Amino acid sequence: MNLLSGLLNKLLHALAAFSMAGLFSCSDHDEIKSYTAPNHYDGPVVAWKLPEQWGENPGVGGMMAGSFHVKTGQGPQGRIGVMPFRDSVETPQIVNMFARELGHSDYNQSNLVEIMEKKDLAGRSFDLIRLEDKSGDEENPRTALLALHRQNEQTWLFPFIADKRLVRDQLDNFYAFLGSTILRAGKTPVRAMAPSLPQAQPANSNHQPTWVAPQHWEQKPATQMRIGNYAVSNKSGESLDFSITSFPGQVGGILANVNRWLGQVGMEPTDEEGLKEYLSDFTIDQKPAKLVLAESKEQALYAAILFHKGRSWFLKLMGDRALAQSEKENFLGLIDSFCLGDH
Amino acid sequence: MSERRKRFGWLIPLADLRITLTLLSLSMVLIFVATLEQVRVGIRGAQAEFFESFYGIWHYPIQFWGGEYLNPFPIPIPGGYLLGGFLILNLLAAFITRFQWTGKKMGIQLIHLGIIMLLIGQLATQAMQEESRMQTATGESKNYLERFHGVELAFIDVTNPKTEQVVALPQGILEKGGIHYSKDLPFKVKVLDFGPNCEFNSLPPAQQTSGPTSGVNRGVIQSANLEIRPKPEDFSSEGMNFGYVVFELLDGSKTLGTWAAISHPAGNHWWAQINPKMGDLAFQPIRTNGQLWGATLRPQREYLPYSIELLGIANEFYQGTDIPYNFESEIVLKMEENQTRRALVYMNTPLRHAGKTFYQYQMNKAADYTVFQVVRNPSWLIPYIACVLVSIGLLWQFSFHLIRFLTKNSKANQASA
Repeated sequence: MNLLSGLLNKLLHALAAFSMAGLFSCSDHDEIKSYTAPNHYDGPVVAWKLPEQWGENPGVGGMMAGSFHVKTGQGPQGRIGVMPFRDSVETPQIVNMFARELGHSDYNQSNLVEIMEKKDLAGRSFDLIRLEDKSGDEENPRTALLALHRQNEQTWLFPFIADKRLVRDQLDNFYAFLGSTILRAGKTPVRAMAPSLPQAQPANSNHQPTWVAPQHWEQKPATQMRIGNYAVSNKSGESLDFSITSFPGQVGGILANVNRWLGQVGMEPTDEEGLKEYLSDFTIDQKPAKLVLAESKEQALYAAILFHKGRSWFLKLMGDRALAQSEKENFLGLIDSFCLGDH
Repeated sequence: MSERRKRFGWLIPLADLRITLTLLSLSMVLIFVATLEQVRVGIRGAQAEFFESFYGIWHYPIQFWGGEYLNPFPIPIPGGYLLGGFLILNLLAAFITRFQWTGKKMGIQLIHLGIIMLLIGQLATQAMQEESRMQTATGESKNYLERFHGVELAFIDVTNPKTEQVVALPQGILEKGGIHYSKDLPFKVKVLDFGPNCEFNSLPPAQQTSGPTSGVNRGVIQSANLEIRPKPEDFSSEGMNFGYVVFELLDGSKTLGTWAAISHPAGNHWWAQINPKMGDLAFQPIRTNGQLWGATLRPQREYLPYSIELLGIANEFYQGTDIPYNFESEIVLKMEENQTRRALVYMNTPLRHAGKTFYQYQMNKAADYTVFQVVRNPSWLIPYIACVLVSIGLLWQFSFHLIRFLTKNSKANQASA
């Protein structure tokens, strides 16, 4: 009996120690865990070393593995992309996506040779094709420099789209970027699509503003009043008018201008209190601005107002309400791309 | 005995039977209150608030008699840890000071020892048990588990085609915030905000977001212009909690941007089906120094040194009804050194391997996948040992008294004869 009670006493002590250890043991849940695991990642693996003068465009997803711009005194310029193709795509097929946008006739295997050169970068071979816009500025045309690399039945396209001078100035950076890339296609198929080319912009000297307009907006000649001048229409005949104007001073202020525009779309003028219904805070080129959204039964008015360094800037879209609603995203995208060119 | 009582005299007040009765009565009150609260906060909420704590706060239900007057007053209720802890101390104290180590009383000792083991075993289970899930589609192999509750911010380097380097910050660290660093990460992570649940809404492109994502300038949250509104955690059994985190990445003093991530409770592969713009929430690419890292907020994972491949599933119902009578998954367990083992996992017949038990939990015949509930409970044997001890104690006690009674009876009969 003494032996049994002795054994039971020891068991009791062990249980007490066990429960204390259980109660006060440190949880491993609050430590950073680091481990290796088999790689199950399906997407394209593309890594690179970005040149100092380049910036990355945020929000890249889908088929584009990367998108960059060149940081210049006039703001972000140009567009460089990284596009993986799962299938082995023919070179003329890729080139023609861009050639048609730039006013060239289609290329085939034989006439492509004339504009293509091979370049070895960091032990890999790239096909370089240069296309210049035939319809724009002759001195400094829009240029698409395409770099194609093929490996293991995968095709990688690196388009560099900018004006000719910028492409020339950034050529060394472009080659260094290509040489630094790590490329591995993903398992999900990718279909080729041409990235949208930026519309021709006004000459960017003397710090003029720049913006990117949707391709289907018809650009009209600039006037004394209108720095930017576009028309949008659809098959039913409805139309919109878009303008970018700038004046010294505040030209009457927000209320006066909004009331004038409301009158143009058949709406009643408003007062300071009622203005809040149409107005919201906004940013243009990282500067505080205002956004005006007003709709009547048949007409709509969307406008962005910026007061900066003693000048007023108005970006205004006005016209048929249904068409305006369908173009609203494009209008906001243009505002987002607007750059005063003063930094 | 008196010598023992002298040596452990300080334990005598703790061994009082009145304490035992009080604690047992309070336990009944605790169970009653937690049962009522379960309707409001769910099983997990009631368990966390009343059983896995030292005390809970209860409000008299407004629907009960006098509820409109009594409901505003918070009533503290002793929690499971407090009552259980004192019960263990009370029993141990009685064990040491009062119980007699004689053949006559040995049965009682064993019964009480079994009950002490049961209580301690439950404490150990709560401290050490881990419950996870493993979802596998037919033909697919899985080598990791996901916790039912709790998320982690994982950074995954997929540059190497064969292996990925994973660095995971668990929820406990995200809740504290601050700057964190690991030698396997090329940047520091500054946790700015974390919440266990949220609502989210994609705003028009130029509209400024407010709330936790107002400063986000990189990644999916920025490109989809998502606004997040924090919500309390939903403890109900059908609750869907979308955990979120906002963090900044720092390379020395240079910022690599402010990012945010949201965890889908059913798995981040669902984001692409909700909204294509949000598909990258399963893997937000971060490129730095020639490497490709992905950031994602996901259920906490545990990788295993073995994998399970699902060969097929079957679910059968009673004829003419939708009452299930069999769910089974046929699997191949692939262990180290290329060893394999086929097994059938079905209701009440789990797979046990390497300290883990895989129970058949859910199944989707249409989508052709199965879900195992995986339990790691190092103290799983204790309730069995406790029951054996209690059974032996009861048998001992009843047998001792029965034999004594029969012996006495027999002697008395002989004497009278």
